Amino acid sequence: MSQQTTMLEATSLRKSFGKRGQIQHVLKGIDFRVMEGEFVGIMGPSGAGKTTLLNVLATIDRTTEGSIKINGTDISSMNDRKLSQFRRDQLGFIFQDYNLLDTLTVKENILLPISVGNVKRVVAEDRFKSIARTLGIPELANKYPGEISGGQKQRTSAARALINEPSIVFADEPTGALDSKSAASLLGTLAKVNDERDVTIMMVTHDPVASSYCNRVVFLKDGTIYSELYRGDQTRQQFFQEILKVQGILGGDSVDAL
Amino acid sequence: MTLFDLVVRSMRKNLKHYYLYFFALILSVVLYFVFASLQHDSTVLERTESSFTMASGFKAAGILLLFISGVFVLYANSIFLKRRSREVGLYQLIGLSKFTVTRMLVTENFLLGTGALAIGIGIGLLVSRVFLLLLMKLVGIDGVLTLSFSGAAILQTVIVFVALLALTSLQMAFAVKRSTLLELFKVDQSGERIKKPKTIVSTIFGILGILLIGFGYWLSGHMLNSLLFFNMIVVLVSVILGTYLLFRVTIGWMLYQIRSSKKGHLGLSNSLSLAPLMHRIKANANSLTIITVLSAMTLTMLAAAYSTYYSTEKETRLLQPFDYMIDGDATIADQFTKSLDDAGIAYHASTIEGIELAGTYEKKLNPLFSDRDTTVRIVSERQLSEAGLQIEVKDSQSGVILDAPTYWIVKSAKVPLNLTLEPKRFNKNISIERFAEGNAFNMVEFASTLVVKDEKFQAIKSEYKAVEETQLNDAIVINLINKSDFEEATALYNDIESVSKRFDFYTEYRKTLQSSGMLIFIAGFLGLVFLISTGSILYFKQMTEAEQEKASYRTLRQLGFSGQEIMKGVIKKQVFVFGLPLAIGLLHSIFALKSASFIFMSDVTVPTVIAMSVYIGIYLVFAFLTVGYYRKTVQAAL
Repeated sequence: MSQQTTMLEATSLRKSFGKRGQIQHVLKGIDFRVMEGEFVGIMGPSGAGKTTLLNVLATIDRTTEGSIKINGTDISSMNDRKLSQFRRDQLGFIFQDYNLLDTLTVKENILLPISVGNVKRVVAEDRFKSIARTLGIPELANKYPGEISGGQKQRTSAARALINEPSIVFADEPTGALDSKSAASLLGTLAKVNDERDVTIMMVTHDPVASSYCNRVVFLKDGTIYSELYRGDQTRQQFFQEILKVQGILGGDSVDAL
Repeated sequence: MTLFDLVVRSMRKNLKHYYLYFFALILSVVLYFVFASLQHDSTVLERTESSFTMASGFKAAGILLLFISGVFVLYANSIFLKRRSREVGLYQLIGLSKFTVTRMLVTENFLLGTGALAIGIGIGLLVSRVFLLLLMKLVGIDGVLTLSFSGAAILQTVIVFVALLALTSLQMAFAVKRSTLLELFKVDQSGERIKKPKTIVSTIFGILGILLIGFGYWLSGHMLNSLLFFNMIVVLVSVILGTYLLFRVTIGWMLYQIRSSKKGHLGLSNSLSLAPLMHRIKANANSLTIITVLSAMTLTMLAAAYSTYYSTEKETRLLQPFDYMIDGDATIADQFTKSLDDAGIAYHASTIEGIELAGTYEKKLNPLFSDRDTTVRIVSERQLSEAGLQIEVKDSQSGVILDAPTYWIVKSAKVPLNLTLEPKRFNKNISIERFAEGNAFNMVEFASTLVVKDEKFQAIKSEYKAVEETQLNDAIVINLINKSDFEEATALYNDIESVSKRFDFYTEYRKTLQSSGMLIFIAGFLGLVFLISTGSILYFKQMTEAEQEKASYRTLRQLGFSGQEIMKGVIKKQVFVFGLPLAIGLLHSIFALKSASFIFMSDVTVPTVIAMSVYIGIYLVFAFLTVGYYRKTVQAAL
């Protein structure tokens, strides 16, 4: 795997919430880097700052301090309009609760991100077909979200995240609302997409099974990076055991599992 | 903590849910109270009691107002209940019985209700003076404002709204009773599953909707026959049914066709307009139909009333072409002119000779309504023009008929048309070149006037003088030089004691102005209430939809769509939601006015356009408010 180019680079990120006198520091100086084609998992107990980190990196929220570069572009100084444009062109999102539009069919949902812009209809159709095939949902194209299962919804959501051929896909607890079988199947697909299409993925999860599909897992604790694990040549099972070990030291997952 | 404490607490916490319902309640109270105070105002009572139509008009308006306020408040309450269903569910989940929850809601309702009643009456007291002033101005009374604190109006308002509160409480009790916990938590996600329309059935019904409306429009232009009343009912039913089908089937079918033609490449703005519209087409069909029909009704009512008011002077002039007229009695005319001289009022008097003769048209003027036999009063074109009324006659063989009361029936008659005058042995024929609008004399009796060239008139006069059937009639007409002398001159005119028939423009004008002023006031008031109700209903509905779609907006913002891009789609939806009922309502009302145009003798395009523009202007305010609300929602979504 070619991991020379840096896809995402965060330098001394800080994020705090609240007003003066009652400030809560959530991210306390994080230096972090994701290479092109990596599948990175972010783990950590509740309140460690996982989701905040994801939101900040994904340009949904702003940092208090520090800089973020995605695919060579510094996003920390961009205004809202530019950020929106950037998200649409460069990023993909998968959310825990799918966030599909109930009024749109699966196909319409998937094509939504490239509906405004200069992607030609023929190209869009081709991309849709190829992604739907990869994710195993071509026969659902004309169904509404209300008519399909949770796992199928999350596949749709993943397809939507990939349709604009993003530099990086952010996934926030993508398996949080799925049963273990659907979760495994989705993660397998994500790993496949990562491998075959060379898509960079960053996934926040509290589930060690989910993170065992990653190339690398970063552990957060109290707003700082606690440790990192590389899968290397280990099998998924071995990697899973490693993750469990670190998690055991970190503790607090039982609370998170709620 | 007592139940009452809980109620107060939840109300304080949920202000944003309440203000909508509270606002609707206050608004209804204010409008109803204003109307009630006018009803009980002595000045208004004086005017209305003298006229049966005005009194009954006021009464009917009161009932209509009551009905509309009732529907509006019930509707607002149902939206309010829907928005709070999660809360109601939660109370039940933690173990409050349905009865307790109901009691809580009812307590709240009465707290809200009494608050709204007090505030509404307070505001009503302030604004009713303005409305009274407006009414006085419209009917042309410059009196002193007498509106006093009306206990009766307050009592009436209180009774009506306590009854309404009881009704809404019942509505709440039913809603709680019927609800299941599961439903209560699912309300937000409600929406219809979009099914592929059954092509044949929906095509048939879709086309039927358009056909029904078209048929209604067509019939409305052809209903002046012996089945008038029946026709009116048929027109109403077919147009309303057609409108419903249009919203329920036709538009859904069209949207479906557009959407399937996109093959999934819907685009952002369609995703935010077309898709959610289709999602709620069933639920929206009823309210859009009601709003369309109400808009059409209001527009028609407003335009008709305003046209009446606007053309009062013109229409009165058509009926009373001269300021004063004294029919056949020269001594009385002298008496009047003398008193005018004494008062120093400048005038112009002239005499119009007339010969009254029976006659027969060569064929019926209108196949359904008229007779071939008639009586005409023949006058000279020259004398009429000297008196101040210009009626052009082509040549000495022709004549022009004026008869305001039957003008709308005979105006469609084919001309030229021969009229043979009695007695037949004279073989006197006049070719009628046209039927002109208005009267040639101040409403004398129901006889048509036939205007001919002066030489023709003199010839007829000399020829017929000897004939015993001939009745000669001279009318003395007086026009004031200075129209500001009207009041004084009319007083003098009315002072003359005489049994002879008298007709003057000014008295008639004042009378008409009063009734048409009252008409436009009532129509305007009701129109405003309708407009505010329909506008608010649309606004409330859209508010609820905006809340439901908040999650979608959030997702879209996260996916990288800017607020402006999202708003484009939202505005497209609003154009549909607000524009379609308005456009169809306008179309309906235009046809309704066209079919009723016979009640106006003058052209009413200008007042109609004015009335409709005002309506559209106020209506659009609600559309802008709605878009503003969406904008806020979209901005706050991320």
